[in-house]
Amino acid sequence: MAKVDIRKLNVWFKENHVLKDVTLTIKENAVTAIMGPSGCGKSTLLRAINRMNETIDGCRTTGEIYIDGQNIYDGSIDVYELRRRVGMVFQKPNPLPKSIFENVAFGLKIHKMADGQKLAEFVEKSLKEAALWEEVKDRLNESAFSLSGGQQQRLCIARALAVNPEIILLDEPCSALDPIATQKIETLIRELAEKYTVIIVTHNVQQAARVSDYVAFLYLGKLIEYGPTKRVFENPENELTERYLTGEFG
Amino acid sequence: MSRIIDTGLEELSATLHKMGELAYHTVLAAITECIENRQAYGEIREMSDALLSMADHVEDKAFELIARFQPVASDLRTIKSYMKIAYDFARFGRYALDMSYTNQKLGGIRNCGGWIISHIKEMSEKTLEIIDLSITSLRSHNAQLAEKAAQTEKEIDKMYFDFLEKLTEKADVTTKCTVSSVLVVRYLERIADHATYICEAIIYIATGRKVVLR
Repeated sequence: MAKVDIRKLNVWFKENHVLKDVTLTIKENAVTAIMGPSGCGKSTLLRAINRMNETIDGCRTTGEIYIDGQNIYDGSIDVYELRRRVGMVFQKPNPLPKSIFENVAFGLKIHKMADGQKLAEFVEKSLKEAALWEEVKDRLNESAFSLSGGQQQRLCIARALAVNPEIILLDEPCSALDPIATQKIETLIRELAEKYTVIIVTHNVQQAARVSDYVAFLYLGKLIEYGPTKRVFENPENELTERYLTGEFG
Repeated sequence: MSRIIDTGLEELSATLHKMGELAYHTVLAAITECIENRQAYGEIREMSDALLSMADHVEDKAFELIARFQPVASDLRTIKSYMKIAYDFARFGRYALDMSYTNQKLGGIRNCGGWIISHIKEMSEKTLEIIDLSITSLRSHNAQLAEKAAQTEKEIDKMYFDFLEKLTEKADVTTKCTVSSVLVVRYLERIADHATYICEAIIYIATGRKVVLR
């Protein structure tokens, strides 16, 4: 079933036309990977799904993005509520300068979703979903900066999960991590897809092959190919996709 | 600029070309032995063993390339198909060896009726033709050429069934002749099947289409 329906999306940053007529339907409870060479518009496409591009000066967007049938670029949309529903995890782990517990509780508090015992329960649930609970349950009051890079990234995922999102956007979440931490995040991504719609941007084609169910290939701001990962990686339809996947350019 | 994986793919391709030539000569030796009653079992055994060992090498190299380079798209299709083709070439060797063994144990077909010899000769020529077709398609990854295997394979199948039918109608054929000739035509038919599998693999490499030519 379609969760996100992107129609004729165009994004400009001042004069720079970054996304060109991108039309794409993203399925619910699946991992969709967006891949392509540097500067192709991967992150811009991801950030369009929770309207994060608007925080950048000179950004202009046309087209529509529907989530569950509702156009998120409609004037009546509450952007804060949208960003609760569509959580985001960035390239580098960015924990808040607070304790492990407070990092996860932060979103719950500002959205006034829980307090007291309920808050503790939600924090535990989110840390469990992010596969971090066992490693931090005895040190919840320690600074988030005391965690390793991989743990910090899973903490950021727990923070995104805490506010009960429907969609998780991951912008190259493993690019700053070592192979073991990367493997843990990739395993977690697969588990998250059972409950959430996951969209991941990666420049690592092997990671896209490992974690995704569907894959979109962008080149110079255009969607070149989109389809089931198995089909695209075994038998791409477009010559550009073939050349990118086999390392002829990138 | 060539990629690191290209060196490995070229090595695989070179091994397969050698296998193709050796497989052709192994089958040719078995056919010649069968029809002309040459003793060539030892030589055929050596070639068949060499084919098996080359197929193992292809498999090892393919696994190495998969582990080191995580190939995708046409690289992945090529490696998958090369493993399959190496197995098919090794089967050519195995069936040639079985033909030679039959010849050794049952005396081949030299004392069988003229129609048996001429039928097997004709079927052998067709089988060598389809082997040659598979090897030529492999050299150039030529899908159009590979598709021609379908027709030859049908002809060989028809020859096989025609032979069995004719054999059951003839009362004057000895048991030895019946057994050895049936085994030989069966091995030829199986070799032709494997040549067709190779052609199917070439089409997959070149176009990504999975076809059944049989």
